[in-house]
Amino acid sequence: MFDWITWGIWAIAFFILVVFIVQPIREFRRLYREHQKDEAE
Amino acid sequence: MTFLDYLIIFVFLGMVFALGSWFYKWIGNPDDFMVTGRSITPFILAATLAATNINLYNFVGYAGTSYAHGIGIVWQEWTGMMSLVFSGLFVLPILRRLRVRTVPEYLEMRYSRGVRGLIGVMWVFRLGAWLGVVLYLAVKVAMNVTGSEGPLAFAGWIALFALISIIYTALGGMWAVALTNVLQFVLMLAALLVIVPVAMAKVGWTSGLLAQLSPGSMEFVVRDGPYNWLFIIAIFLLGIQWASTDQGLLQTAFSAKNIRTVNRGLILAGVIMAPIAYLTVIPGLAARILHPGLAQPDDAMGTLLASNLPPIVLGLVLCGLLSSQVSTISANLNATSTLFVNDFYRLVKREVSDKATVFVLRLMIGVSGVIMIVFAYMVPRIGTAVEAYLTVISILDMPLFVMAIFYGLLWKRANWQGAFFGYLAGAGFGIYTQLTQQVPLFGIPVGENMAFAVTAFVSASAALIVTPLVSLLTRPPDPKKITAVWAARGTTAEETDRSSTYHIVPRTGAGKASLAIWGVGLATFFVGVFMGSTGSHYASPVAITGMVIYFAGGLMRAYTE
Repeated sequence: MFDWITWGIWAIAFFILVVFIVQPIREFRRLYREHQKDEAE
Repeated sequence: MTFLDYLIIFVFLGMVFALGSWFYKWIGNPDDFMVTGRSITPFILAATLAATNINLYNFVGYAGTSYAHGIGIVWQEWTGMMSLVFSGLFVLPILRRLRVRTVPEYLEMRYSRGVRGLIGVMWVFRLGAWLGVVLYLAVKVAMNVTGSEGPLAFAGWIALFALISIIYTALGGMWAVALTNVLQFVLMLAALLVIVPVAMAKVGWTSGLLAQLSPGSMEFVVRDGPYNWLFIIAIFLLGIQWASTDQGLLQTAFSAKNIRTVNRGLILAGVIMAPIAYLTVIPGLAARILHPGLAQPDDAMGTLLASNLPPIVLGLVLCGLLSSQVSTISANLNATSTLFVNDFYRLVKREVSDKATVFVLRLMIGVSGVIMIVFAYMVPRIGTAVEAYLTVISILDMPLFVMAIFYGLLWKRANWQGAFFGYLAGAGFGIYTQLTQQVPLFGIPVGENMAFAVTAFVSASAALIVTPLVSLLTRPPDPKKITAVWAARGTTAEETDRSSTYHIVPRTGAGKASLAIWGVGLATFFVGVFMGSTGSHYASPVAITGMVIYFAGGLMRAYTE
């Protein structure tokens, strides 16, 4: 029988994994650009 | 372990080292080093907090405890995450507005330099000892899995972990800590996503666990045993204290770009860690079926990994587990160095250049690293003293929360004398309870498996009573101190645009509704936990439902207004 509890929580954790790869990269790009701008000034 | 597994681990450690060291050029002044110049964004903050909070103590300890006592230990992490949400809603936004870097710095702002010194000394000792325990655990796991033995192997692994963490933290400061923590959070989560299905498939998934484990092992809220309903309440109180006063955690939060980021980062970290916590305890339960009769329950996770994962996958999973340790070490090394420079060095040497301060910060990372190594060597010699140390920590922390946060932020009349003696009284009564196993003044025995919970209540109660008594018997505090701290309860000039403004008491309908949902969740959670005292089978679903509502309300609050 399909284990809804384990795979349900696993899927949520997998979603968190994807979000926490994509979002921090976006945020870091922004931080990097700001840092480059500050250095140029 | 194969050659490829070793290669994967060394490549990973090299990557962490390179990434951390790269931030050397981002350090221009002491604030860049201590709090990233207050630049961290919400998702980076959430991942950093999660990585700092989770280490092998959780992976090995929780799996070991669930192996021995059942799933109830998961509440230690769940209540910790609920506490992060609480702190993100009500406490940390205030402390971030005060623009402090350490808890002792806030204590001088609110009380006096003497209280700052007392807590500063306690924290340096605390963090040094904690770092030793964390390093020791990393080395033990590395030795167990690789099969290396003897003092030379012990020294080799210590040198490897310590040097990597010390060097990249000293070079990149909080920037290195935060960004490597994001990578490490991703790796440790990926490791769990591999371990859990492998372990669960072997035992026949959840239905297999339920059928093969003893009755009650899968019950979340129970009446009896060391992880019963009273444990949940005590650990929740300690969690709120931890999320409001822990230097390693707070320093990361103080690095946030603005008040909204603190609020969102903490709540996000709490919400994402809730399902992950479940995944950390499940392997222990599976190990109980697959490897029964282990002499040391803490060997459950290691045995499970070594016996069930193929080569290469084992190396990748170990990278995830070791990540959790390196991230905790680097964050706490930075916290110890910051405490020393911010709360001792800067007070003694007032006229000092930014360059010199950054140099001392880097030097202190090295000194903290040496203290960590000394403590790591002491751990096997003192044996159960590690547990005793952690108990003492729980004794000392509740009074700190009572005087710093509860009275410090809520009662204007609390003064430094009250805070000082309230703290000492709480710690004193807590130690007395632990030593005598009796409730002070009443002489009631604490009962089997109840020492932890009773001590937490006793030390908090003593501080709750003594702080106001002494405060009322002595002179009122300096009004300037009160004005400065109370101003931080409202929005400040720093919150210039609407996206960074946060009202602790919500102004809009959506904000009020989200806080009401959060409150309903909290009430439901407590109803469920108290139902556990009667042995009701409905206690677990009610408490868990309450927790889910609580997280939903917190998350809505973070993104409303």
